Amino acid sequence: MDGLYHSLRAGVFFDPHQGFPMSEDDVRQALKTVEDPEAGMSVLDLGLVYGIALEPGKVRVEMTMTSPACPASDYIVDEAAAAIRAVAPAGTDVEVRLVWEPPWTPERMSAEAQQRFGWT
Amino acid sequence: MDAGAHERGGAAALRLDVSPRLRLPLLVLGFVSLVFGVAGGLARFSSLSIPGTAVALHGPLMVSAFFGTVISLERAAALDRLWAYAAPLCAGLGGILLLLGFPVTGFALMALAAAIFTLCNVLVIQRQASLETVTLLAGALAWLAGNIVLFEGGAAVPWWVAFFALTIGGERLELSRYLKRPPWVRRTFGLLVLLLVLLPVFPRALGLVLIALAAWLFAFDLARVTIRQDRLPRYVAACLLAGYFWLGLGGVLMALSTGYDAALHAIFVGFVFSMVFGHAPVILPAVLGVRFPYHAVLYLPLLVLHLSLAIRVFVSALLGAWGNAAAIALFIVTAVVLVTTFDPRQGERARSR
Repeated sequence: MDGLYHSLRAGVFFDPHQGFPMSEDDVRQALKTVEDPEAGMSVLDLGLVYGIALEPGKVRVEMTMTSPACPASDYIVDEAAAAIRAVAPAGTDVEVRLVWEPPWTPERMSAEAQQRFGWT
Repeated sequence: MDAGAHERGGAAALRLDVSPRLRLPLLVLGFVSLVFGVAGGLARFSSLSIPGTAVALHGPLMVSAFFGTVISLERAAALDRLWAYAAPLCAGLGGILLLLGFPVTGFALMALAAAIFTLCNVLVIQRQASLETVTLLAGALAWLAGNIVLFEGGAAVPWWVAFFALTIGGERLELSRYLKRPPWVRRTFGLLVLLLVLLPVFPRALGLVLIALAAWLFAFDLARVTIRQDRLPRYVAACLLAGYFWLGLGGVLMALSTGYDAALHAIFVGFVFSMVFGHAPVILPAVLGVRFPYHAVLYLPLLVLHLSLAIRVFVSALLGAWGNAAAIALFIVTAVVLVTTFDPRQGERARSR
């Protein structure tokens, strides 16, 4: 399977299993409730989420942190998984993986985040 | 998933998850040194019946045994490698040995803790090489240098000051990446890192660099934006910005080579403890797996900390020192109450909003 990151960049949206009642947008909405506690903004707006993949009964997310030494990373990953589980069908296997490649860059931030932090 | 997305340098065989419950005893070990270290500091002004070692070794107990345990535990939790936990273990045990009257063995363990912590930071650079991660490594090396100097009976304090300046500075540089800054801002920070590593041998010059670092942090830190938000981000920002004031003042006093107690405590209490107060609600959930909900009452110990430090520096060292200790005790009580009375259903409601 191709990398989630590359799939996302290529605009590939895959929800091949119509029987699974959850969309990528549902996952994104869930991740909007998970904040970087220091920035007071969601991990989605901050561009920390690299990829979302849906399979029947399974949600997989790849995300990063601005700092590889960040002690809160496990906590934020757990929060992200909990937020997805809260809206996913019961019994869904939710996996949130922390990756360090490619490194995070500010261009990944949403328009709202870029505006708040002075980029636009 | 593609290979590039996988973590680099991940020695899977060495990966062993240490559950948050097992991290608690390490933190408790560090807190033993905090309690005796603070009491030892107070005993320098008042008559307290505590072991003479706690009085004589207040500095190593606070810096290498308490902060050393907490910071290296934090890093071990981030790395998720079993061997990394040897750093907080050695730092914490080093403090206990100092208290029991075995300073040489204790100092040796502290140096070992710093060496392991340095290796942890090499691993961080393997994950991602950047000015930020190099700064953290420089901080670890400064702690190691300080602990070796201590072992040999020299002046460790300037190295420890550099340890905190680099460790906190590196983390703040990381977060300031959210903000748009001209390239020279980053290059200036790089220059400060170089000076912080080189100048502990000239404490007065180090003071000047601390003034520059405080000005950099005050001007370019994310806290300048988040202070305008609310709840936790604003509280953390308040802790940091107040801390930068004391870092700058500590730098001035060091540069003038005057007010030893005031200079050191401006840095260690005003800058470092303020940062700890701010980050405990962010870090404790990650390290201990507990919920630490934000509450405005957190501003109370913060206020006591900074007011008592002002008294310590400008009015009375004795009165201020007791106030500093009261602020730390008040913060711990507040934290324990907030963590233990947290109702998980509140969290669920917050999420469903």
